Amino acid sequence: MSRESENTLLLLIGVATAMIAVTGIFTRYVKAALLPWLYLTAGVLIVLALVAIIGDIRGGAASDPDHDGHGHSNRAAWLLVVPVVVLIFLTPPPLRPQASVPSVSAVSTEALRRPFPPLPAGRAPEVSVPDVMIRAAQDSAGTLDGRLITVTGFTMDDDGKVDLGRFSVLCCAADARLARIHLDGPAAAEAGRLPEYTWVRVEGTVLPGAADGDSSLIPTLEAVSVTEIEAPENVYA
Amino acid sequence: MAAVNPEADSHTDPRRIRTLSVWVIAALMVAFALLGGTLRSVVYDSTALSTAGTVFAGIFVQALPFLALGVVLSALLAVFVTPDRLSRWLPNRPSAAVLTAAASGAALPGCECGSVPLARRMFGEGALGAAALTFMLAAPAINPIVVVSTVVAFPGQPQMVGARVGASLLTAIIMGLAWAKWGRPEWITRRLPKPAANDTPRWRAFAETARHDFLAAASYLVIGAAAAAALHVLVPQWVFEKLAGQLLLGVLVMAILAVVLALCSEGDAFVAASLTMLPLVPRLVFLVVGPAIDIKLFAMQAGIFGRAFAIRFAPATFVVATVVATVVGVLVLGGGA
Repeated sequence: MSRESENTLLLLIGVATAMIAVTGIFTRYVKAALLPWLYLTAGVLIVLALVAIIGDIRGGAASDPDHDGHGHSNRAAWLLVVPVVVLIFLTPPPLRPQASVPSVSAVSTEALRRPFPPLPAGRAPEVSVPDVMIRAAQDSAGTLDGRLITVTGFTMDDDGKVDLGRFSVLCCAADARLARIHLDGPAAAEAGRLPEYTWVRVEGTVLPGAADGDSSLIPTLEAVSVTEIEAPENVYA
Repeated sequence: MAAVNPEADSHTDPRRIRTLSVWVIAALMVAFALLGGTLRSVVYDSTALSTAGTVFAGIFVQALPFLALGVVLSALLAVFVTPDRLSRWLPNRPSAAVLTAAASGAALPGCECGSVPLARRMFGEGALGAAALTFMLAAPAINPIVVVSTVVAFPGQPQMVGARVGASLLTAIIMGLAWAKWGRPEWITRRLPKPAANDTPRWRAFAETARHDFLAAASYLVIGAAAAAALHVLVPQWVFEKLAGQLLLGVLVMAILAVVLALCSEGDAFVAASLTMLPLVPRLVFLVVGPAIDIKLFAMQAGIFGRAFAIRFAPATFVVATVVATVVGVLVLGGGA
């Protein structure tokens, strides 16, 4: 591959990174906290490409890569077309419940039980699905007990009953795990009528001590209201 | 790359050939822009394709900032620190140099993608080569970010953190010493570009080095990320669940999964923590093998050091990391639960 094409691809990778950062598409692939680093990376790559391009134009074709002992080594640079196409044109969707990924399982053992920090004040504070699972299993302070909370997630079918799911991502989509809680109570039927993978905001209280199996708990949320919503900006918890 | 080469234009009309591939890229972009909608819906309609696409994009995008950090550091190293100076800083005895390099791995915050190009720049004759490889293996596993995320992922189990750091350091040191003893410089077939001519300004030399290292590492990252994404979709979930209680089989499968899944070393602790059906030892193996060698690192090593190097160094790292992690795990964590 010629030096000009390498520079073009370098520029395109930088532009693709900037595009997924600006449009928010990056939250489908990595944690939202990576945003400033993505801008920085895009800046570095674009500057590197422009320095090389402008330098070449000014200096004529002085530095031809085929003459510095590389031979065919840079043919692999063509592969960089793949991420450019994936990030700019294909933009694969966020993970969906059908994806085969491991589940979050919150183990409840005496060793792990500890007091969790209290939930934020307010009528129904927002708690993420994985956080509900962990608190239900390991919180010795009982911060969820009798407390009305708001949980955002998507509907999932669970043998005729309805679950609330959300993917938990720690680094990137490759380490995603599916967190789910059961829905019950007056508003659960309403959620059950929605098609699978509908984003909803559910208000309710977690039933105390609702064990499902012996070591891993899937808590049940006694839902009092279910509101259909747009997919949130950060699709992963 | 900045090598100013006056004979460069002596070929017959090289400019036409060179602009041709730019036109190919431009044509590809236009074609994908036109087909984008159709392709997007094909991907969206297939769960396997969209999961693979998302995982690929996840690994690639996650690695980019670390790769950028790595190539910026390696370019700074190339411009400001000559190999002579680096070897003057390091102890002369290979064993002492390897130990120093292993300890300094704690100073590079980031995951494994950045450390491969950096190690290539540090690489040199004798003790320096062993030290660079030790640094490459140690840095992703024992830096502060990884240690903290392991502490958070395994609350109340500090022995897991200690075992991870200890086994990773030991793996890096063993591989460094092994290179000092058996490694052959001729396996490193990929040559670095000639250093910039003396009259090139430093910032220009810096930009050229960073550009070269990024292109080399990123193109092989594409192969690794694509392979990992494909295997993500193809390795069925029950593999994880059928392994409870079988120590040796569990160790082997987790070691292979660490290679196949190619997770970022900053996040792999959480994945290991979530596999609660497995005993701690196989999960430790997962955490020690993954940052040292996985499918994307193998591809990047082949691209940056050379294939002859990667096909020897990667399997050796895999075996050493698996054995060391198992032994450390059994000693520190106990054999079974």
